[in-house]
Amino acid sequence: MIEESILEDRELFKRLLLQPGVLEYFPMFDMREIDDAVRIWEIFARQKASLTAVKDGNRCGIAFLNLQGYKKLAHQCLLTIAVDEAFRNQGIGTELLRELCILAKEKFKLEMIHLEVYETNPAKRLYEREGFTEFGMHPEFIKEPTRYINKIFMQKTL
Amino acid sequence: MGNQKFVESEEYDLRYSTVGDLDPLRAWLKIRGMLHWFPPGDDQELENFARMWIGFCRHNAALTATYKESPVGMGSLYLMPYRKVAHQCMFQLIVDPDYQKRGVGHSLVKNLKHLAKTQFRQEYMYVEIFDEKSPLIDLLKELDFTEFARQEKYVKEGDQYFSRILMGSFLK
Repeated sequence: MIEESILEDRELFKRLLLQPGVLEYFPMFDMREIDDAVRIWEIFARQKASLTAVKDGNRCGIAFLNLQGYKKLAHQCLLTIAVDEAFRNQGIGTELLRELCILAKEKFKLEMIHLEVYETNPAKRLYEREGFTEFGMHPEFIKEPTRYINKIFMQKTL
Repeated sequence: MGNQKFVESEEYDLRYSTVGDLDPLRAWLKIRGMLHWFPPGDDQELENFARMWIGFCRHNAALTATYKESPVGMGSLYLMPYRKVAHQCMFQLIVDPDYQKRGVGHSLVKNLKHLAKTQFRQEYMYVEIFDEKSPLIDLLKELDFTEFARQEKYVKEGDQYFSRILMGSFLK
């Protein structure tokens, strides 16, 4: 089941980011940066632009719209999604993404939605399946001690 | 005065931007048609945008071009706060319309690249362009920037759409 996020889901979002391997697909590195990201999530959650997945009573995924602050960019926005590792490969990401597109189109009247995915992230296949198409690649966006990772831009018209 | 002569004249100079440069920056952004090239669409957005821009002068990450000691253009590095992405940054650029087509933009971007590489150990620098007809595109190509993303209909002004072009250059 997908429902509107509540502010208490800040702990869920933080927990998801702290799961092993998850930060490989996000720009944050340490707790200070995670806390900063959670504060940003709260801004969008207060605008009712965040959805939470609930399965068998477990809150297990979050997807939200990073609504644009500038009016001439406000017809589109970036999205963020994270699913609990224990609930992956059960269609929860797909359901979150579909409901988020509906929320974007119907509540916020968005015309386009886009995302940024690192080339090593297997979730890219989910985005392709859901109709997102590539429109560019930021080279060496992430710098880790032994490697660089490219960031791929994808978008979907609503 | 030709492009080369203007930026090589003794009266042309580059310095770090200061908080006092907020006034000319705000004034240039308010010139009719200027906001087409930038994200803000009204006065409140313009004010927030200009203040964020000028905020980077506290890190000595913004440059101001002057002619006869008066500002004629500015550029700023938007340094990234997260560690894994701190090796690359976006930048902004503006030139007083009265001094455009004299090499000021070229001089600012060239020096921003040098500043980014030497003072901030940046490895990649990029810019968002909000109209595929922007004259900035040719200038950037001269300075080794290449397009890495093009997003149609990213900007909407009235019932008109414009593409977002992302161009970047490696500094290493």
